[in-house]
This record gives sequence, structure tokens and C-alpha cells, in this order.
Amino acid sequence: MNPLMMLGNSNMMMQAMGAMMRGESPKDFLRNLANTNPQLQGLNLDDLEGTAKSLCEKNNINMNELAAKIQDFAKSNNK
Amino acid sequence: MGDSTFSGGWIFAFLIIAVIFGWGGAGVGGNANVAAYATMADVNAAINNQSTQQALGAIQLSSANNNYETSRLISDQNMTMLQQQNSNLINAIQGFNQVSSNIANGFSNVSAQIADLGYRMENCCCGIKTMMLENRLQDAQIALNNQNARIVAAEQSQYLLSQLGSFVPTTAAV
Repeated sequence: MNPLMMLGNSNMMMQAMGAMMRGESPKDFLRNLANTNPQLQGLNLDDLEGTAKSLCEKNNINMNELAAKIQDFAKSNNK
Repeated sequence: MGDSTFSGGWIFAFLIIAVIFGWGGAGVGGNANVAAYATMADVNAAINNQSTQQALGAIQLSSANNNYETSRLISDQNMTMLQQQNSNLINAIQGFNQVSSNIANGFSNVSAQIADLGYRMENCCCGIKTMMLENRLQDAQIALNNQNARIVAAEQSQYLLSQLGSFVPTTAAV
């Protein structure tokens, strides 16, 4: 991964990566994140897959493509 | 979605985060899409911004150092000036003290000389008075001797005349 890509707003991604590495629950992580980030409030965090699909559809995002890029991002940060 | 990198639904959590908060600058409120990687313009802008921030930080640090050095130099200069002023004041006070001492000594000497002059004047006056009295006494003694001499002379003359058998009254002036 080109490290310059991280110059953008990837702070949340890095926080999530750290939480995942520590073995935390993604739902707990997002719930805690929702306490200080109103953008997450109102989302159904009990169904992460359904919520993710819904968000991608609403924003015309190809979820599989974005998931592949996230995986590349995660792999490059685990190297 | 079944990649081994993610487990327990983390891939969906990342998807939600990427859509909501963006990835590389994009988000729901902005331009959220799969092309969330930074463009070259974004990268260049970020690099420029980073370089600008670093340069600004260096300038701020340099400015702070300059300000500190300037303040230190001013403080040192002020301290030097204060020390010099104190030294000047001390020298001036010591000079004034010396002048005052000299004046006091001068007055003391003048007073002593005046007192001595008074004594000398009195002494001189006393001597003059004594001399005058002595002169008067001497004059009186001379006058007395002269008178006695005249008296003796008159008596001798009178005796001689009596011896001649005629009485001549004494006419000698006293």
C-alpha cells in the first residue's frame, strides 16, 4: 500500500484496525464510537452486515469492491 | 466477505466506517464512493500542507528561539545597565560624602582659625593695653624723675643763694 494514501482521513480506520487486533467486538467498538460520533447514532449496530449493505446501496457504492480495498488496506497494514 | 483477515463481522464494521467517515477524505457527507483513495491532487495537497506545516513549525520554533534570545539579551542588557547605574550612584554618593567631609573639615578649620584669630586679637589687644600702660607708667616715672631733679636743683639753687646771704624765692617751674 502506498503510505501516502494514509494522508487522508483514515483515523477511524486505524482505530478500528487497532480494536480488531486487540480482539475487541466490532459491535462494541461501533457502539463506543457512536457515543462521540452522532453520524453513527440511529444505525442498527446489531446487524452490521445489513447496515453495511444498506449504507452502500444508499450511497451507490459497490460493497464488494470497497470490501476488497479494505482488505488490501488491512493486509498492507499487517505487513 | 469471508477473508481470513477479518472475523466476527469486522469487515462490515470497516465498511460502515468507510462509508460514514470516509477513507482518504471521502464520507457520506462528502463524496463517499469506492474511489476513496487519495487522488494525486489530494496527495500533493497533503504533502504541500505537511511541508507547509513543518516549515511553519520550524519558523515558529525559530521565532520562539529568537524571542527567547532577544528577551535574554534585553534582560542581560538591563541587568548590565542597572549594575552600571548602581555603580555610578555609589560612586556619586561616595563623591558627595567626600565633598561633604571636605566641606565639614574646611568649616572646622575655618572655625578653629577664627577662634585662634580671636585669641590672637585678644592677646594682641591685651599686649597693646599692657604696653600702653607700661608706656604711661614710664612716662609718669620720667616726669616724676624730672620733677624730682628740678626740685633738687631748685633746692640746691636756693641753698646756694642762701649761702650768699640773700633770699631768692624759688621760681623754677615744676
